Amino acid sequence: MKRVTYLLILVFGLGLFSPLMAQDNLTPERKQAIDSLALEKVKDLSKYISIIGDKETPWSEANRVIDRAEELFMQGSEMGVSSLVKPEIKYYPVRKYFERLMRLNYNKVVIEWYDIEYVSDLQRQPDGTYVGIITVFQKFKGYDKEGRLIYQDTTKKDITVYVKRKETQIGGRLIGFWDVLLGDIRVKETTL
Amino acid sequence: MKKSANLISRLIMLSLVVMIAMGGATSCKSKKKLAREKAEAEYQAKVAQAKKDLTAMLNDETNWSLPEKQERLKTIKANNIDDQEVKDLIVKVEARLKDEERQVEEERLKRKEQEMTDQQRRKYSVIVYTLADIAKAKNYDDANRQIEGALNLYATPDVPVLIIISKKDGYYDYDRPTTISKFMNYLKDSKEFKYDIEMAKYNDDGKITELELIKK
Repeated sequence: MKRVTYLLILVFGLGLFSPLMAQDNLTPERKQAIDSLALEKVKDLSKYISIIGDKETPWSEANRVIDRAEELFMQGSEMGVSSLVKPEIKYYPVRKYFERLMRLNYNKVVIEWYDIEYVSDLQRQPDGTYVGIITVFQKFKGYDKEGRLIYQDTTKKDITVYVKRKETQIGGRLIGFWDVLLGDIRVKETTL
Repeated sequence: MKKSANLISRLIMLSLVVMIAMGGATSCKSKKKLAREKAEAEYQAKVAQAKKDLTAMLNDETNWSLPEKQERLKTIKANNIDDQEVKDLIVKVEARLKDEERQVEEERLKRKEQEMTDQQRRKYSVIVYTLADIAKAKNYDDANRQIEGALNLYATPDVPVLIIISKKDGYYDYDRPTTISKFMNYLKDSKEFKYDIEMAKYNDDGKITELELIKK
């Protein structure tokens, strides 16, 4: 009798939790889609930073893009800023970083991110969140009024990414989606 | 003398009667035989024709349509031919026709699906063009003009936009939902449109109330 009871508990338990288990044990194809999604958010950030830093971007557009860029981050995330002329690395809340970027004292700014890739794959945490680290290289170039390059550097940065499954109701349907949020962006190395 | 002549004539008569009787019986027997032989020949012809038709169907050497083949097979089966070769061929042809039937059905479904996809593509082409044009805009003013025009297709600028990132193993994985206005601005910033339309819902005024995209 005891055996039957245990068996029933096991069967019903599996039945109840099977949707959750299916979500937890992602197939390689689904995991790949989530990996790509997180990578794409970093690429979106790279485009936003380039737009915000670009002096040609109209003020209203730059402010709109700052809002969009801020939405990519977890609350309280910080961005590391380094320079070849100062040894220390300063960390700013992301909004402040974008606002400073928009007001940089150059006539023209070109920011390019490249070699965007995972250094640590997305790993499932006990609370169900997937956490990974993506590394990027940022090439910064600042020009004066005469169009002369007055400052440039290349910074290697590590971005922590958090991916969590959430649900929302849309048009009477329950939609399960993957929410990708970026965490702190840490400076690893700054070179010419 | 007279007695012996009488005996001889009687014997001749008896012989004649026996001969006539025997002749009649032989003739009846050969008629039956002929009929039997005829039936046998007809049966053998039927068997040979059945083998020929079944083999032809098996090797796809006929120009019959699938219903014609099925009808022919039905007739052959109804003949109940007691021949092992025919029986074996029937089993093989049945399997082949079932396979053919499945293929025809698959092709029909594929055609239907393609027709639906084409219909849907035509229906959704306006959405695709307007969104792709925003991504292709030359500058912010141009993009904003495109956005203003494109928003007329939607019930409000806050119409939800769902983006499928993966559709595998029976699961739909979505990106964080957004609104059409934000999505159009995203296209303006990213300068690329790499989606297909999965579904669009319309209200009574013909305006879009929900848009579902899938990443290419």
